[in-house]
Amino acid sequence: MRPSGKTIGTWGPVLAAVCFLGLGTLQITTAQAATAMIFDQGGEVLYKQYDSTPDNYLATGSGGRNLNSYYALRQYPGSPPRIPHPVEESFSTAPVNCLACHAKGGYSAEYQNFIPVTPHPEKELCTQCHVPLKETKSRFPENRWESINPPKLGRSMLGGSPPPIPHSLQMRENCIACHTGPAAVAEIQIGHAARGNCRQCHVPMVQTEPMKVYIRK
Amino acid sequence: MNSNPRDNEVTMNLDRRSFIKCAAALSAVTAAGSIFPGISFADWKRQEGASGMITWKKAPCRFCGTGCGLLIGVSGDRAVAVKGDPNSSVNKGLCCVKGYHSVQALYGADRITTAKVKRNGKMVEVPIQEALDIVAAKIKETIGEHGKNAVAIYGSGQWTIPDGYVASKLFKGCLGTNNVEANARLCMASAVTGFMTSFGLDEPMGCYEDIDHANVFITWGNNMAEMHPVLFSRMLSNRKLRKDVEIIDFATRSTRSSQAADKSILFRPQTDLAVANAICYEIIRNNWVNWDFVNKNVSFHKGKTNIGYGLEDNFQFTDKEEPLTFEQYKTFLEDYSPEKVEKLSGVSARDIKYMAALYGDPAKKVTSFWCMGMNQHSRGTWINNLVYNIHLLVGKISTPGNSPFSLTGQPSACGTVREVGTLTHALPHGAVANPEDRALAEKIWDLPEGSIDPKPTYHTVEMFRALDRGDIRFIWIQVTNPMVTMPKLTRYRDGAKKEGRFIVVSDVYPTPTTDVADVILPAAMWIEKEGMFGNSERRTQHFEEIVPPQGEAMSDTWQIIEVARRLGFEKQFPWAKEDYIGKIWEEYRRFHDNPKHNMAPYTVLKERPGVQWPFVNGKETRWRYNPEYDPACDKGRDFHFYGQNDNRAWIWARPYEPAAESPDKEYNFWLDTGRVIEHWHTGSMTMRIPVLYNAVPSSYVEIHPDDAADLGVVNGEMVKIISRRGSVTMPASILGRGVPPRGQVFVPFFDERYLINEVTLDSFCPISKQPDYKKCAVKLEKA
Repeated sequence: MRPSGKTIGTWGPVLAAVCFLGLGTLQITTAQAATAMIFDQGGEVLYKQYDSTPDNYLATGSGGRNLNSYYALRQYPGSPPRIPHPVEESFSTAPVNCLACHAKGGYSAEYQNFIPVTPHPEKELCTQCHVPLKETKSRFPENRWESINPPKLGRSMLGGSPPPIPHSLQMRENCIACHTGPAAVAEIQIGHAARGNCRQCHVPMVQTEPMKVYIRK
Repeated sequence: MNSNPRDNEVTMNLDRRSFIKCAAALSAVTAAGSIFPGISFADWKRQEGASGMITWKKAPCRFCGTGCGLLIGVSGDRAVAVKGDPNSSVNKGLCCVKGYHSVQALYGADRITTAKVKRNGKMVEVPIQEALDIVAAKIKETIGEHGKNAVAIYGSGQWTIPDGYVASKLFKGCLGTNNVEANARLCMASAVTGFMTSFGLDEPMGCYEDIDHANVFITWGNNMAEMHPVLFSRMLSNRKLRKDVEIIDFATRSTRSSQAADKSILFRPQTDLAVANAICYEIIRNNWVNWDFVNKNVSFHKGKTNIGYGLEDNFQFTDKEEPLTFEQYKTFLEDYSPEKVEKLSGVSARDIKYMAALYGDPAKKVTSFWCMGMNQHSRGTWINNLVYNIHLLVGKISTPGNSPFSLTGQPSACGTVREVGTLTHALPHGAVANPEDRALAEKIWDLPEGSIDPKPTYHTVEMFRALDRGDIRFIWIQVTNPMVTMPKLTRYRDGAKKEGRFIVVSDVYPTPTTDVADVILPAAMWIEKEGMFGNSERRTQHFEEIVPPQGEAMSDTWQIIEVARRLGFEKQFPWAKEDYIGKIWEEYRRFHDNPKHNMAPYTVLKERPGVQWPFVNGKETRWRYNPEYDPACDKGRDFHFYGQNDNRAWIWARPYEPAAESPDKEYNFWLDTGRVIEHWHTGSMTMRIPVLYNAVPSSYVEIHPDDAADLGVVNGEMVKIISRRGSVTMPASILGRGVPPRGQVFVPFFDERYLINEVTLDSFCPISKQPDYKKCAVKLEKA
């Protein structure tokens, strides 16, 4: 559900987008915007995974992945990562094979690393979004693409308050998958999965979206 | 990002030159790549001259009835941080999104910091002392012209205990009118009458520690994942830790709690009455009855049936109890076989039997949780009774893990409304109708005999009807927002706006209620004053004045004291500003001076994060009616339900009766109203907390995808919800956080821009007088 707020003046939309980058305080969104809750229905996956993941596994971190290597696989923050390892051709017709490793994670002797867990195992046609790139020595065609910087971490509203969830929940509602376990990216691995109801404390607030201000009419 | 509304003007006034400058700044930024688009919390204004040191002080959370212990971080004279109090047994160091950001609600840009009075149709600022003069004069004038029952005070479960206590003392004691009500009538009156009819004493027998012992949790119409998240996550971690724990979500719509539950069972609105009886039917049919417990501790009763809905003015109802034998009770249940109830409720006979088997399994400890789903119910008292029936038949009560647990929605609904008795029929101890209770109050309050009127006047809905009719001419509203929360709102708002009505509102932000005020008094909020809250598990929690009140803001207690003195009651309100809360507490405590309700002394409250009552010989009582834990019980018995005259808990034969209004051909949808985790009540505080506002910036109507398709709306499109009372047009949420079944819609009521209560119906439970916000009939149109 996208905000349906009216922006002010002809320049409004442009200004809203543009000024926000440099001068964060200038953004305005009218109060009538509806909430983006359409991707707010996958709690069951999270709760199940929380319940079935042993405590010690939740708390383990291998440090095998970090944010640099994480973003290196993505065209921009939030894009589906490319597949960083060789994939046999046949895999494209038997996508469920990805889940053999990526549904539950664990250690891969072949790659000598822990396997990242997918936050959306119910989607089985993996290669629809994740591109298996063949190993190549030549560069991709030149392109003047510019990415945005990834969201900063730990941006709490108050000193010590739980930081909001900086990314959209679309396809990423299962916090346990990415933020716990030995394959979790070191910087975003959390050490307090004890109570499993993550959004009891962490509010979704997408960092790339303008911050709204409540003004009573 | 900052929350200053004046930034709007900046944007609106941006001309082309600023735009170019802005664009230039942008390209510089892009080139440098040093700033990312998004929220920069670094833009908060920094506290000037701050030492960088934080002092932590304890306070209970300002929001729901869970009553989490918080530690408030203070720098200078401002609250700057929050953490969970690890010493609090309620939350053990954890909070929820609202608690963690609660202190930001103190600093909304439009905080009310001065008194305002309506002059020539306009609100003008006046010194607060002048405003208090006007309030006192108006009370005197109104009583002179229209009698004492033309003045009223309407408070709140967010009142601190001293707030409610002085309100009751002034109005019931000094002024002699029982026109004292609180919004808790709208939120837990049915829980009270449920407790009173089943046990003879109010408030739960168990405590939150039950969560660490139970094997089965059954939530009755209660989305705890969002409404009582701290208790919910305690359930989840118990399930993970102990493995022999399961959670059954029994509800009318699918929610985040359903997603977490091991089993989600949906029932048609109002049929919980029938399902609860069917569970009892199954327990008896399978002989899962705990006969030893029942023979020693339970008696059977019935009351009136076809009891009405309170839709007409001056509706009166008094229940009449008749004793039953077990055999008569068993005969009554014959209408509720699972197979019969399946047709009515939509719950399969198998699921009913499954729930009955969980309750009936002697090896399983069962805790039932409920809150608004059962309380905001046109048969709210009955459904409370019926769930107690289940627990009583199998003897699963008053022992760790076996607990029928009625949760509350407000931080001090228990402490201030139920314990202090800020309802028309009640006193700090007992009822106005009871001569001994009146005599005790008159003695403690140093008032002549006969000062307190033995006749209750108006419950909340009737109080606003009386305001509309003109029977009430003056009403003082504190810490609540009835112009958003009253059902069938249009009538009561029009009534409040009528000529010859005088409305005083004490609040912290402008709301639709301050919009109808003649006098607005700036209130000190939460930790800007000393006080106590009482939570769902009989726990009283003290907080000191942690930061100073803003502007001329004054505690609600002190506002009432100031007015009382102006009315000539110096003798009853003698306290000094330095220590009035402690003095009031010690006076109030005299009302509960017995082992069934003893409260902790002020000094103990100040030391600890919270203390449960009965507090006897320096010890808290965790499970009442169980001699092992409760010193008020007679020794030598397994249980002692000392609240009722026969020393037993009462099982009530209560039938299924339909809601006041059900969908028909024209108004073909059920409308259910409720909440989301991010916002609390009418949002007057949480909408001003940036992170919460951004997470859910608007209310919405949840519609089943098939109904949305029939209607031709997609997510976010506007839907008009129409009832026989009114209509509201708001965005649709399809397959969002909650999903109602076909034929039902759900609307969170926090957003004053979409006043869903203009659509709801003011039917109420005839016994508790609590309105049913969960059920009325609407039709939908694509807007």
